[in-house]
Amino acid sequence: MKVFIDYIRSLFLLELLKGLQLTGRYLCAKKFTIQYPEERAPMSPRFRGLHAQRRYENGEERCIACKLCEATCPALAITIEAAPREDGSRRTTRYEIDLFKCIFCGYCEESCPVDAIVESRTYEYCFENRGENIMTKEQLLAHGDKHEVQLAKDLEAQAPYR
Amino acid sequence: MSALEIKNRNELFTPEIRAEIDHEIAKYPEGESQSAAMAALRIVQDANGGWLTQESMDEVAAYLDLPPIAIYEVATFYSMYEHKPVGRNKLCVCTNISCMINNSDQIVEHLNNRLGIKFGEVTEDGRYSLKEVECLGACGGAPMMQVGRKYYENLTPERLDSILDELE
Amino acid sequence: MSEEKTITIEVDGQPLETKAGALLIDVTDAAGINIPRFCYHDKLSIAASCRMCLVEVAKVPKPIPACATQVMDGMVVQTRSPMALAAQKATMEFLLINHPLDCPVCDQGGECELQDVAMGYGSDVTRFVEGKRVIPENNIGPLIATDMTRCIHCTRCVRFGDEVAGMREMGATGRGEHMTIGTFVAHNINSELSGNVIDLCPVGALTSKPFQYRARAWELTRHTGVAPHDSVGSNIQIHTRRGEVMRVHPHSNDAINEVWLSDRDRFSYEGIKSEERLTQPLIKKDGEWVETSWEEALETAASGLREIASADADQIGTLVSPTATLEEIALAQKITEGLGSPNIDYRLRQEDFRGNSRAVPWLGQSIASLEDVDSALLIGSNIRKDQPLLAHRVRKAALKGAKIQLVNPLQLDLHFDAAQMVSDPAGMVRNLAAIAEAAGGSHHLTEQIEVTDEHKAVAEGLKCSKSTVILLGNIAQSHPDFTILYGLASVIAKAADAFVGVIPMAANSVGAAVVGAIPNKGLNAHAMLENPRKGYLLLGIEPGLDINNPALARAAMSGAETVVAITAYRSPCLEETASVMLPMAAFGETSGSFVNAEGRWQSFSGTTGPAGESRPGWKILRVLGNLMDISGFDYSSSEEILDELRGAHGGELQVASLGAAKGKIRSAVTGLARIGETPIYAADALVRRAASLQETEEARDAAVARVNPSVAADAGLLDGEKVAVVQGEGRAEMVLKVDANIPDGCVWVPAAVPGSESLGDQFGELSLEKV
Repeated sequence: MKVFIDYIRSLFLLELLKGLQLTGRYLCAKKFTIQYPEERAPMSPRFRGLHAQRRYENGEERCIACKLCEATCPALAITIEAAPREDGSRRTTRYEIDLFKCIFCGYCEESCPVDAIVESRTYEYCFENRGENIMTKEQLLAHGDKHEVQLAKDLEAQAPYR
Repeated sequence: MSALEIKNRNELFTPEIRAEIDHEIAKYPEGESQSAAMAALRIVQDANGGWLTQESMDEVAAYLDLPPIAIYEVATFYSMYEHKPVGRNKLCVCTNISCMINNSDQIVEHLNNRLGIKFGEVTEDGRYSLKEVECLGACGGAPMMQVGRKYYENLTPERLDSILDELE
Repeated sequence: MSEEKTITIEVDGQPLETKAGALLIDVTDAAGINIPRFCYHDKLSIAASCRMCLVEVAKVPKPIPACATQVMDGMVVQTRSPMALAAQKATMEFLLINHPLDCPVCDQGGECELQDVAMGYGSDVTRFVEGKRVIPENNIGPLIATDMTRCIHCTRCVRFGDEVAGMREMGATGRGEHMTIGTFVAHNINSELSGNVIDLCPVGALTSKPFQYRARAWELTRHTGVAPHDSVGSNIQIHTRRGEVMRVHPHSNDAINEVWLSDRDRFSYEGIKSEERLTQPLIKKDGEWVETSWEEALETAASGLREIASADADQIGTLVSPTATLEEIALAQKITEGLGSPNIDYRLRQEDFRGNSRAVPWLGQSIASLEDVDSALLIGSNIRKDQPLLAHRVRKAALKGAKIQLVNPLQLDLHFDAAQMVSDPAGMVRNLAAIAEAAGGSHHLTEQIEVTDEHKAVAEGLKCSKSTVILLGNIAQSHPDFTILYGLASVIAKAADAFVGVIPMAANSVGAAVVGAIPNKGLNAHAMLENPRKGYLLLGIEPGLDINNPALARAAMSGAETVVAITAYRSPCLEETASVMLPMAAFGETSGSFVNAEGRWQSFSGTTGPAGESRPGWKILRVLGNLMDISGFDYSSSEEILDELRGAHGGELQVASLGAAKGKIRSAVTGLARIGETPIYAADALVRRAASLQETEEARDAAVARVNPSVAADAGLLDGEKVAVVQGEGRAEMVLKVDANIPDGCVWVPAAVPGSESLGDQFGELSLEKV
């Protein structure tokens, strides 16, 4: 009996019409394709892109070389060396992130007690030579300086949930 | 400290002070000179116008054959030892709970206004200095203060004025 | 209460057998039950001031501190009951009231007892909203960094200073919330054991300054090792990160260093990274030093020595440093023997070789047994500076009531009660002879000795005690009459039924003697320089600093045809004297073994790779041996060498006589006598380059000439004035310091410090001149 009903149904191409109905709906709906790179998708404040190091308003670098990010990094991508600076404060002499190793999990950002290391919204970057995959302290700070306004805003947006 | 090590024990202090300290040391078994530390500090403080200089503490340490830090510990622990110059009359006003309830604040304020000094300060003529102390065990007569070895109890601003006038 | 009685107590439902009178915290520790604590330390007295170890004991209404409670039969203890937990939590809350939450910048973070206990027993939220106490910075020297705001007033450091270091420099001043641990008057802490407070401090109040901010505990790899300076052979942990030595900690061993470590052993690792490290083989070509390949350098060294040896093997002399490893010394010995030369020695600072040179100078007993002696006579020993941890043992004996007496050429600042007999170097011999006579012994000195009551008192002190030890220290070994001193010590020992021993100078002095780096029929260290050889092989030596008579050494080596220096450092005196420098791995970079003062063989492995092109010493010597076609150099590891050495020399050490009490006193001088001590932080090449140790007051005050006020007055010299010290041909300019501890007729002019390179014997005649 079931075989018979299925046969009759297939004669009327019901399945096909069902599919075409969906196609028709999207044919008339508003398009959401983005014309990258002219257009960009909206991003969450929690987006985890390229790393940056931040400074305080007076220009002092935030990082205090506590090494929690290095310890928490599951991919062992962070390398830190520290020593007392001339004024006696605790500072890094070397802060490097190997972007080949990094898995962008955001643990470094999470562990930082002074919001020094953050992951910015930057996701477009490439390397052309060996060695460029390692971000040095200077590069990280420069990247942070460039995006500070956005970074501060993103952190503020996240603050209630941290 | 180094200069003192060279000094002979008999060159420390005056003979009178030495005799007085020796009298205190004699009260304790031999080799227990540290027991006399408090008395020795008191004697030296009295002889020095009511306060202890670092040198005088070092001298006490040398005299009692103790490390200087042992004397510093004692001298900073007890509030009766002073480390800054004090006035001829050291007014120790209790502000602990019983006195506070009996309005020691008013006493303190009166002293501040009359003498023009705050706690830990000395009047310009060197006559009075003011010190805040914890309970001196005379709660029955609160509010109270101690000047020299004498307790003044049941203070009021008027009584204070007459006490202050009496003090040299 | 009988100490021997065994009783049973119950802790957390677990029955424990223990001795009556033991401390509860010791019993629970032994059973593996954890009770949190800060102020308790098993090597220090009990303060019971932190209150962290509160536990509940049945029938006691309040929680009581486990560290100050003796166990009693049938005691029922709860360490995790609601009452105990509440007490611990409340204590933790109080401790954290004034503790800053600066763990991210605190060096103790990750190895902090407070952090650990706060995690286990603390609350997660504070109820304290008032302002916290802050204590201003206090600089206490180049070794210890302070941050007293973090202090929790456990007073471990104060008790350590009082009970172990013997210098009460820190104390608790003020009271209540104003209580501060510190020195009160700003000054440096100068104890030679000061670094131990870093380990003792449960929080980050006292941390290591050279290590400050450099690494975290969790990044470090721990390697056990042996300290390379004094002959205690302290067990250490070398902490490395990414192939770099970051710091050194003590490794507890109750038979040797207990839980302590001297500052020299703790901070000398800085010398590994010295800029003077030799990282490339060097050859002298036409008077210029040029970098070269290993092949060329080794070939030059081997052919140079071989040529001399083939003409006259006796023209080869080998000097080895007593801080080199057993394996290195053994191979150097093998090479010398293979070349046919009998001339090898490690006794670089010794001047008197009249005695039996085949005997092994060692302590003659175990290090731990030093603390049980009733009486000790130390001859020519600044024990506190030379062997800080042996001094600690002697101090323990002194505190137990032992009578300690010293015969020295200077008055020492000791941390225990001792009778000191001070005289000029020749007077030391006379004093000792008089003590020997007073004790009932006899000697064969060429002069008459006058015995005074003082000597009789010393002899009496030695004779009427049950266990007596007589030890000869560094000064005695450098003394021109070392053999007589030893002979007299033996005479006294026989009369007083005492042990006689030598405190070896360096980490491997005993090892060097054991494996035979002493001339059998050949020339000793002094003779090799007095009769200059054509070829020298130097292992880990700086001729201007490590040798008793640096002027003689430099002259002899400058005139030699080939001087092969296997060295970790490129030092000016080597540049002047050597012809080939082969870079050797330094401390921590090579495997090897040391034999300590009590004859204990201790091996260690390399912790990091050698710097630059340098190689472990035993590998360099192996290749040298092969290049010279000497057989028996087919080792593939240092363990193989060690196994061979153990087989040949591994037996028990015997106490053998090093000299006899006869002959003429050579140390008598007509003018001023030099007292040439080796300062604590100048003892060997590594420590001389440890930057932080060199900044200590001890090191900065080392390179001075000291005289007592009367000598200064006679010479018309003033304190702080610059003077020229003239010894034979040598002349050195030094600052004069007037010091009442130096005896009449003597000048204390140290060895192994800048300026002393041009001087002669460590003990000898000299004169002072105005500059």
